[in-house]
Amino acid sequence: MELLRDSLLSAVVLLMQLDPELLFIIWVSLKVSTLSTLIAATVGIPAGLLLAQAVFPGKRFILTCLNTLLALPTVVIGLVVYAFISRRGTFGSLGLLYTQEAIIIGQVILIVPLVTSLTIAAVSKLDERYRLSAMTLGADRYQTALVIFKEARFGIVAAVVAAFGRVIAEVGIGMMLGGNAKGFTRTMTTAMALEYDKGEYVLAVALGIVLMTIAFGVNMLFHFFQGRTRTDAL
Amino acid sequence: MLYELIGLEKILGGRKIFEIDRFSIRSGQIYSLTGPNGAGKTTLLKILAFLDRPTAGEMRFFTKPVLQVESDLLALRRQVVMVDQSPLLFTGTVIDNVKFGLKMRNVPAAERKKRAIEALQQVGMERFARTEAHRLSGGETKRVALARALAIRPKVLLCDEPTANVDSEHQKIILDILAAINRQDKTSIIFSTHYQSLEQQLAHFCLHLQHGHLSEHQADNVYHAELIERGQRRSSCRLSERVVITVPTRAVPAEPLFNLRIDQEKIRLAAITGDRQTEGSLVEGRVVEIREENGSIAVKLHAGIVLDLTLSPEIYADRSFRVGEVVAVVIPDEAVHCIPNNGDVRPE
Repeated sequence: MELLRDSLLSAVVLLMQLDPELLFIIWVSLKVSTLSTLIAATVGIPAGLLLAQAVFPGKRFILTCLNTLLALPTVVIGLVVYAFISRRGTFGSLGLLYTQEAIIIGQVILIVPLVTSLTIAAVSKLDERYRLSAMTLGADRYQTALVIFKEARFGIVAAVVAAFGRVIAEVGIGMMLGGNAKGFTRTMTTAMALEYDKGEYVLAVALGIVLMTIAFGVNMLFHFFQGRTRTDAL
Repeated sequence: MLYELIGLEKILGGRKIFEIDRFSIRSGQIYSLTGPNGAGKTTLLKILAFLDRPTAGEMRFFTKPVLQVESDLLALRRQVVMVDQSPLLFTGTVIDNVKFGLKMRNVPAAERKKRAIEALQQVGMERFARTEAHRLSGGETKRVALARALAIRPKVLLCDEPTANVDSEHQKIILDILAAINRQDKTSIIFSTHYQSLEQQLAHFCLHLQHGHLSEHQADNVYHAELIERGQRRSSCRLSERVVITVPTRAVPAEPLFNLRIDQEKIRLAAITGDRQTEGSLVEGRVVEIREENGSIAVKLHAGIVLDLTLSPEIYADRSFRVGEVVAVVIPDEAVHCIPNNGDVRPE
């Protein structure tokens, strides 16, 4: 208990001093998580809109695959991406291993199914009459999709927020593909794991506080958008 | 012809909803579509609005075959608009909603605004232009949905139960709007409704969908008319072999054959000593049916034509005629509406 209290106090001091190492770790974490969320949203939202509306053979199979991918362990993603970007891999010549880009690639693979699935859920909940109203008023497919996006926007934003929360707290991909290189690919979670291994609890606890604060903020946003969606549905 | 349906069939969830051998719907007319719940009225309207595809059969729209491919359907959809029974407005203000269809057609912003305001004025909702759409009541939402449809000036307006779940004040407003746009813009209107409802009086023709089959009959008090003499002030029109009425010449279409609707609530009993107080036509007929309907007395006369009229209980009690008696009625000018029939159907 004493250890935790001392670590907590030291962590607060570290945070208040704006320790450069700590700030850089936070910056890397936010940067890779934000970029991977943006890329995943760019891919996942249109895919979700398309899958929710289109009727084609094999749709059920694709939805089942998507749901399966939601449970994909990060170490599996780490292994698969590693196989492609390691020196002997297909894209080894690009020199991506142990870079921030490698972390982003892994995180995008992790959350694209999440964004897609939650977008499908948000769009499927939307009243069919929105689509029919847009179509009868002369909207083409693209314009109809925009109407649906607008009407389901709270649910879709909640999907993006959930995806960000997933990657900011992720450790496996950051460790396997980023390598936890100090001042380069060290993120909050990988740094915490390392500091724990070293028995240096102060930095780990300080990072834990920041991570929890960000996670709390993200979840507040998530619940805010969920609440708005429910209110809209009433 | 507006629509031609040939061997049109719709199967939903393994159940055949309807099968229409051959059917034509004329342009410029108001059609009501009746049928029991689950008969497929909404499904048929969706197919006519090109929002749903038939399982089998052929459709022609303005004599051109409808190819059920998306690129073709979009162009057709932009000529037809359907207003849902419980319409949903998009997020945004009322005027944003009314402008929507125009925006989809790339109408310039200034023109969009002008036409949206005109459409809102048509439905009497212009003062709500800047109101958030989700704040409107059910009746107001229906009127805005109608304005949203009217703003794009469709050739065909399809309404699913236009007055369902609407108070009587809004019902009257909506029906007046439908009658006005048909009269002014020659917009073809097809609306689904229940039997004996208020809006049945609006229709020129009635479509009935039951047991998967579609049939058509002339609406009550709508007749095929033939102009037999065009006078300077008044003209004579033959409604049947025995019945000729006179109407103001300014109300008569240019073509000699047209449809003529007589508003049953404006027909009145002629005074016993003759009636020369109002301009109109005097028609005599035998009473074949008297029934109470929504607090009024509905009377059916055989007068060479079948004429329906609605009387107040007080007037009926005062005259107290019975089935089988001959009574004279006055059809005042304001009860007569001439409708071009875009065809050549002669009176029987």
